Amino acid sequence: MRYIIIGGSAAAISAVESIRSLDRESPIDLFSDEETPLFSRVLLPYYVAEELSKPLLNFRTSDFFEENRVTAHMGVKVTDLNPKTKTIKASDGKQYGYDKLLLATGGRAIIPPIPGIDKEGISTLKTMADAERIYNMKGKRAVVIGAGSIGVEACISLTRRGIKATLLEQLGQVMPTVFDAEAAAIVRKRIEDLGIEVFTGEKAVQFKGDKRVTGVVTDNRDLPCDMVILSVGVRPQTELAVQAGLAIGDMKGIRVDETMMTSVPDIYAAGDVAETHDIARDTWFLNAIWPCAFEQGHYAGLNMAGRKTAYPGSYRRNSIGNFIGIPAISMGVTAAESCAMVSDEDEFREIRVRTKESYKKLVLKNGKIVGAILVGQTQKAGLMSILLRKQVYVADSIPLLMSDRLSFMDLLPILRRNADQFSEPEYKELMDTGL
Amino acid sequence: MVDKEKCTGCHQCELWCGTEIASTSKDLARAIQETPQPVPRVYVEGKPFALQCRHCEEAPCLDACPNGTMRRDPETGLVYVNEPTCIACWMCVMVCPFGIINPSSSLKVAVKCDRCKNMGYPICAEVCPTGALSLVERKDYRKKKF
Repeated sequence: MRYIIIGGSAAAISAVESIRSLDRESPIDLFSDEETPLFSRVLLPYYVAEELSKPLLNFRTSDFFEENRVTAHMGVKVTDLNPKTKTIKASDGKQYGYDKLLLATGGRAIIPPIPGIDKEGISTLKTMADAERIYNMKGKRAVVIGAGSIGVEACISLTRRGIKATLLEQLGQVMPTVFDAEAAAIVRKRIEDLGIEVFTGEKAVQFKGDKRVTGVVTDNRDLPCDMVILSVGVRPQTELAVQAGLAIGDMKGIRVDETMMTSVPDIYAAGDVAETHDIARDTWFLNAIWPCAFEQGHYAGLNMAGRKTAYPGSYRRNSIGNFIGIPAISMGVTAAESCAMVSDEDEFREIRVRTKESYKKLVLKNGKIVGAILVGQTQKAGLMSILLRKQVYVADSIPLLMSDRLSFMDLLPILRRNADQFSEPEYKELMDTGL
Repeated sequence: MVDKEKCTGCHQCELWCGTEIASTSKDLARAIQETPQPVPRVYVEGKPFALQCRHCEEAPCLDACPNGTMRRDPETGLVYVNEPTCIACWMCVMVCPFGIINPSSSLKVAVKCDRCKNMGYPICAEVCPTGALSLVERKDYRKKKF
């Protein structure tokens, strides 16, 4: 068996670990267009903030490839994928054959078509080269366009380095795909308290400056600046998939089945490039987040190495960590309205509890959790996560779930009711206590 | 393991986990006055039962951790936090089905039970007055060998 993995981030490395858990011998060739191996993309804002040096961005030790007997081709781009001959061509001029191939090519940062976008001092924050470029930019004022997770973290990172940052978002709130309006307001207040200017419902229409950017013109004002960071989202990198004739989904990701296999036999896809079944939305979706990439890589690896294992499906999960001073976690859908394919029979419900320091919200569809937001008190967020993942009926336990004193032990009756879905030994152990 | 017949919900395990493992003074009377406040890694909540990390066979915290801070000891199978590299992103908190990872904002690290891997024997089992907490192999449940 010869394995080829295209990509070098979460999904790719997770797949290597899973393949090696079943197959210690077969050769694995890994291709990544990044020169730096094993760094964690989600930590790049920490690098910009000077909180982590380069070696600390690694999510696996530097001997990982050696330990797992992987031939890593770093900085080598795969230019051609031929499913008929089961070969690839790479930028090193060579051709490689495979029996099983994984496309873990991830996403590419979107560059919006705004006049003046090609000026110097404007960068996305996606690759190591991006992070280094931003880190080395000189100036005192920055405008960050797009208030998603990366945008917010980039703003805070620059602020920590003494750069005055302005955050611009064309939708009506910060982190629109992560939080509802209420949670976003809490987060926004925290961001503003750090000295960051936030404008929502406002669009960048032009970049000023000759060679180098000197300002951003929005539909409301002029924002003078020395640098611009673009964080308006990512798109799956599907060039190879398209060229090889793989099925592409409505969200422009590579469609995969339960085994993470694409429409072409022996070619698998995982991570930000893969369009999977979203448990919360009950439709195909791109969940371009680290935990999904890792899980998908795991299932792809097992299936590639011959152990048929069904991926239970993806769902969005975001945590903004210590960046804003209070923990905030969100998963699934943020509001009932954002559920796709609503049939007349579906019953949606939102439950909210707001205190001075915390906010908690559950979104239920037919009595099952499809979304949760927790701000302030987040330690029990994972309980919502597992109830969402397993799609169990909880409508009769709402006061319990919304309680500050919720403990996993309180969920045991719900677990027992759905014992067939909680077959893992960890749950069995606790169910068998009879409590 | 926890013998629920013997657990009275006395919270001794929480107290001593917080004192012996988390505090700097290792003295109960002084530990409760420390800042940051020491936090326990075992929880007696809701039911008379001491709940700590289950060291899951398929641990979601290991998949969620973006920089390899959450690790599994290859010999014992125990899942632990490599504290020096923890960046307090709380991704592990987000996915832990048991809610036993504490996002300690004062310590800026994820705090969870490592079954006292550096101490030989878990403190919670040592101090349990009724012997409800004890360290035994549960081979019947866990088939996987690490």
